[in-house]
Amino acid sequence: MKQIKIIAIILFSALAGSCGSDYLDPAPKSAIGSNGFYTNPEEIEAAVVNMYDGLQLAVQEEWALTEMRSDNSKTRSSEGVWAEFEDINVQPTNSVSADYWALFYNVIFRTNTVLDNLDAAGSSAAKFEGEAKFVRALSYFNLVRLYGDVPLIDKVITQDDKEYLDRDAKADVYALIISDLQTAIQNLDNQYKGRASKAAAQALLAKVYLTLGTNYSDAQLLCEAVLNPSSGYTLQTNYNDIFYNEGNSEIIFAIEYQENLANDAQTFSLEFTYNGRVRGLNYATDELVTALTDFGGTARTATSVISEDGSGVDTTVPADIRNYRCGKFVGTPVSNPLAGNDWIVLRLADVYLMHVEAIMAGGSETSASTARNSFNEIRLRAGMPIINAPNPVTKLDLANERRVELAFENHRWFDLVRLGLAETVLTQFAADNAAEGVSYTSTDLLLPIPQREIGVSFGLLTQNPGY
Amino acid sequence: MNLKTKLLLLAIALLNISLYAQDSFQLKGTVSDANNVPIPGANIVIANSTKGTSTDFDGNYEITVKKGDVLNFSYIGYVNQQVVIVNQKTVNITLTEDASQLDEVVVVGYGTQKKSHLSGAVSKVTNESLDQIATARADDALVGQVSGVNIQATNPEAGEAPTIRIRGVGSINASSNPLLVIDGVISDIEFFGNINMNDVESIEILKDAASAAIYGSQGANGVVLITTKQGKEGKTRFNLNTYTGFKSVPINENYNMSLAEHARRELAATGSLGAQTRAKQLLGVDHNWQEDIYNGGTISSHNFSVRGGSDKTKFSVSLGYLDDEGVIITDDYQRYSLKLKLDTKVTDKLSFGANLTPSYTDRRRLDGDTYGVLRQGPWLPIYHTAQTIQYANPGKQIGDYASQSDFTAIPLDGGTVSIRQSGDSNPFAQFNEVNFTEQRFALQGSLYAKYNFTDALSFTSTFGGTYRANRDQRYVGVLQHSTGAARSSSRFRSSHETNMIADNLLNYDKSFGKHDINAVGGVSAQKINTYYTETTGIGYQFDYIETLNGATTISNATSSEVDRRRLSFLGRLNYAYDNKYLVSLSMRRDGSSVFGDNKKYGNFPAASVGWNVANENFLRDSDVISNLKLRASYGVTGTDAIDEYLYLSLLNPSSAVVGGTVTTGFNPANIANPNLQWERSIEYNPGIDFGFFNNVITGSFDYYNRTSDKLLLDLDIPAATGFSNTVVNNGKVENKGFELELRSRNVSNEKFRWTTSFLASRNKNTLLDFGTANGLISNVDDKRAAEWINLVGHPISSFYGFVEDREIPLEYINRPFDVVGAQAQDVYVKDLNGDGVIDDDDKTILGDPYPDIVWSVTNDFNIGDFDLSFMFQGSHGAELRNMEVQYYYNQFSSSQDFNPATTPDQEFIQQKIFTSNIIQNASYVALRNVNIGYSLSKDLASTLGLSGARVYLAGQNLLYITAKNYTGANPEAVNSRSTTTQYGYHLGGAPISRTISLGLNLDF
Repeated sequence: MKQIKIIAIILFSALAGSCGSDYLDPAPKSAIGSNGFYTNPEEIEAAVVNMYDGLQLAVQEEWALTEMRSDNSKTRSSEGVWAEFEDINVQPTNSVSADYWALFYNVIFRTNTVLDNLDAAGSSAAKFEGEAKFVRALSYFNLVRLYGDVPLIDKVITQDDKEYLDRDAKADVYALIISDLQTAIQNLDNQYKGRASKAAAQALLAKVYLTLGTNYSDAQLLCEAVLNPSSGYTLQTNYNDIFYNEGNSEIIFAIEYQENLANDAQTFSLEFTYNGRVRGLNYATDELVTALTDFGGTARTATSVISEDGSGVDTTVPADIRNYRCGKFVGTPVSNPLAGNDWIVLRLADVYLMHVEAIMAGGSETSASTARNSFNEIRLRAGMPIINAPNPVTKLDLANERRVELAFENHRWFDLVRLGLAETVLTQFAADNAAEGVSYTSTDLLLPIPQREIGVSFGLLTQNPGY
Repeated sequence: MNLKTKLLLLAIALLNISLYAQDSFQLKGTVSDANNVPIPGANIVIANSTKGTSTDFDGNYEITVKKGDVLNFSYIGYVNQQVVIVNQKTVNITLTEDASQLDEVVVVGYGTQKKSHLSGAVSKVTNESLDQIATARADDALVGQVSGVNIQATNPEAGEAPTIRIRGVGSINASSNPLLVIDGVISDIEFFGNINMNDVESIEILKDAASAAIYGSQGANGVVLITTKQGKEGKTRFNLNTYTGFKSVPINENYNMSLAEHARRELAATGSLGAQTRAKQLLGVDHNWQEDIYNGGTISSHNFSVRGGSDKTKFSVSLGYLDDEGVIITDDYQRYSLKLKLDTKVTDKLSFGANLTPSYTDRRRLDGDTYGVLRQGPWLPIYHTAQTIQYANPGKQIGDYASQSDFTAIPLDGGTVSIRQSGDSNPFAQFNEVNFTEQRFALQGSLYAKYNFTDALSFTSTFGGTYRANRDQRYVGVLQHSTGAARSSSRFRSSHETNMIADNLLNYDKSFGKHDINAVGGVSAQKINTYYTETTGIGYQFDYIETLNGATTISNATSSEVDRRRLSFLGRLNYAYDNKYLVSLSMRRDGSSVFGDNKKYGNFPAASVGWNVANENFLRDSDVISNLKLRASYGVTGTDAIDEYLYLSLLNPSSAVVGGTVTTGFNPANIANPNLQWERSIEYNPGIDFGFFNNVITGSFDYYNRTSDKLLLDLDIPAATGFSNTVVNNGKVENKGFELELRSRNVSNEKFRWTTSFLASRNKNTLLDFGTANGLISNVDDKRAAEWINLVGHPISSFYGFVEDREIPLEYINRPFDVVGAQAQDVYVKDLNGDGVIDDDDKTILGDPYPDIVWSVTNDFNIGDFDLSFMFQGSHGAELRNMEVQYYYNQFSSSQDFNPATTPDQEFIQQKIFTSNIIQNASYVALRNVNIGYSLSKDLASTLGLSGARVYLAGQNLLYITAKNYTGANPEAVNSRSTTTQYGYHLGGAPISRTISLGLNLDF
């Protein structure tokens, strides 16, 4: 009896005692608790890689905000949120736009994580800084062009850092973009295509200057630096190879994917087909098909669009229902939602045409031979007639060339805005497609700030005009 | 008599073989109460022996005795009686109610309590015939049995769990499921799927916080305590309960327009048939998809148990098998279960016990949803035939799955017509060509030792726990999608969850004079480890092999593991004075590993008081009032039902591709919240228990008010932080309401008994504080972005949108008869603020998905050897947003759009899905259960070698009446994409089915 009593008491206290002070602190097994992380260059590099992981996600529906919202592409089925893009009527509640905003701010968070921990990066610090600042600049450049004034966040914050959560003037955003890119140019070389490089930063900064329209001479110099053979980039001879020979010499910066791997594959290749979620997105508009016919040339047109019948079957036979889907980024994975085609952010042809634009310097044409030569490089490769001296390259020539050269590569919307053509082109496009529900007013040039963000901003975010 | 003999007896049941000893003789009799109502289940034991029996359904018993035996008659709540056997052949006993323990003993968590001493809100359901309700799961059988508990068949495919809510929804992101405790061992609600109702003795539900607070951090949503059957002292008893039933689904006429009927209407409206209709007629198909996918099924259950024991050792063993085919073509559920329970007294002081319940379920799940099939027109064949192939696009063969996309060029009037409205691949293929199976092995068990230091003081040490191994496989076959092998895949998931609990409790139970004291104190430690793996293979080109060795490529393989721990200290003191004045005080201190260092522990106190007014002198002799108890309780409970480790900054592995090589990174997964702490619920609950006219009418009434605050909320935050959500303690929700239980013995005599019970509960849910998320507007489906709002002053979720004004006349619709069952996509809405434009300011709250009143009425009749019981059950006041009507009626077709050239007042037109047009009334009244039984008379039964036999015919949902404007097949259904903040999204799901079954229950 006494023994049992003792045993009972031991049992009782053993249980309470065996639960030592760490009993309630089991360490995570499938994640790292970050206190104690970011302590050496290898761990900082893991944070750098993580930025590109963020870009893998963020860019996957960008075509909706840029190509489908322009006169280049449309949906096949006019369903729901997707139809808002083709109608140039994006609502504050649009979830694709809200996701884009959130995903790019997540990328910015990932870059700030790198930048806040550079102390531990040792001799790699400059390089990592350059990469992080390039990716941050790219993210802000997209956001500021699409949404206007946006919150400018240059360090890791939480929801309690309210002073960071209101909209900052575009000028401030651009100031950070420019300084970030200048750092990137200084710190980086041209080793990678799937990670930031000096040339990528130069090309992007050139585009920033062209967009601002304030520094054409530097833009020209930046383009020339990239075009200089010493940078190591050359145009592909065969236009089709740009898209189907990954990592080719024309690519300056691409977001890479790996097919058949759930975590590193992309879905846009599937969405661009009849077998996608809503039976086809980013299909060519009649206007794009006409532009390709007029300015594209055989090779570019054949690569850019694929015609199919009403059942999604490829056909070249004229039919009552005939659609043109995107011919770039066609994937052949084992399972079709797991495509591996890389997303090209910057390539040399873009830089050649930016070079023309920089020399044109906001004018309506240029007769400079340097500009004409760059322009003709692209024409020649496409098998299209060149512009002979002394004929000028006009702004319209440039816009059309960019449209057919870079179709489906998320340039059209930005080109129209940057070249000052958006108002006329989109007004006409809306008039021609009013029956399909397309409408345009000048306030459509900026996307609405996602309603969700306004809702959770503690009243700090205000809506763009017209929404 | 050994087991073998017993089984032999069963096999040759018609032969009456008497093996009784010669010097013994048979004694018969009836046990009844003071009102002459027979008492079934009363125990009759021969003193100082292991022999005994108990009364059957009619209070009859029969026992072999010999001269000089002393028979002990007992039944819970009644005074024991002893009779010495001389040479009587019949002994009829009238047991009188034990005034000191008027009632049963109620399990209250870490102990039991006399019902008369209870001062909290605890409901008890005894399994009298719950195991004869033909449902696959034990929880489904509880519908309508307890007030304050709403069990909703949110997706009644075979084997799927219903949604159980006790007194409303308190949490927003943390789970609102009640805690499940089986024989004293903390489990979780998922184990309801592993319980065999045949093994259940009783179910107690701790509804108010004061009662649940002894479970502290896990009690916030109420506690369901299941006590399983144990053998009784006396002779070994065998029971066989078996039933087989048929399940079917009534055709829903709302979604059932035939092509012929469509043509008739079109002709009547327009005078001719459009090209679309004529093209569809060419196919020669006009079938009802509901008949194709709701193919009905059988449900059968076989259960065998052996229970018995001596005064030292009691045991219970049972074996169960259940097979529910489900009513949809690809749902199927089987459960195999075993139960062993053993208690033994080693000495007067020391006892041991063990309890082990393994079970295995095998399920084929419905992949996809019913609306995808039902939206297809009646003209679309499942498979191409010689007739339909003529009109199909090239490339199809007879026997291929047909899809609407095959009919884009039907030759007609010299041209071609496309009748494709939907791009879906064949809807039937989506079900049939996906093999989604799920196997679960679950083990629940415990082992205890109890030592009595004195009569009053005891110590119990229990080690128990659960183990669960789940695996599922989702094989998408090559015919499922039009792109064939390019969409084939096989996903394997498995999880192993080990939950171990050690409880050490000291119990003190003593009555002296007018004082009754019961106290319990102890320590409980719990460890839960969950291990999960998932692997996906792709590139299946044949359907022959579905396992991973048939894949060409592994596209995804992952595993993860988490730990969760709790450490608790608990104590409770119950005190009753003179059976009149009752006090209960309890305290639990819980530590949980999910919170940070400063907030690991939470305190959960509770107190309740009661006054048995009926025991006061001034009422003691009342003829009217036989029981009257006033009670009031106050308690604090909590929840830690969120993901692990969120107080830490977590880094998850991530990967990117650089130069064609997959490279590892690490991605911050959350904003660490070191101050994360317990969600807390505070509830007060005044109540009254009453009994009138010698307890002919009894009942109780409870009012409760539960405020949950510091809600564990996955707060939406500015995405500019890099995160869209972070888990914080924020927000406050109130649930208040009342519960009424009324039971009456309408007629009660030997020949005829009739009892009625009525239960009703009302709950009102209000969001009191939602921090910065107040007014959050969100949607479930981006493509059909109907909105929900979470607004302070209203229920947690409310439907939000425009108010319908009137339909658009057909003349303005583009081509109204292009779609079978056609209706306009759009509707005129009201300009609520009268400013002449329809914008966000004209949106308003359109309803909410929470029922106001849930009730049930049960009547039980006994007429001679026959018995009948039936239960009506209903729910009123909930609404739902029925998204399926858009799929069925206008199918997103531009033909159903209004014509912009002719339609007047277009600025007042909105899509129906954004308006009150699809807000439907989810109220229903159902004839839930009917059970008609015939019990063999004692003589006949014993001739067959049985101690009791009952044949029964049972039905479920034989009547199911829904509100007039409800068009679907299950008003209880809530789509699984619907979260707490967007509740009541209704789209497809499994229908309510009716079941008719025939059962046999044998005791021997």
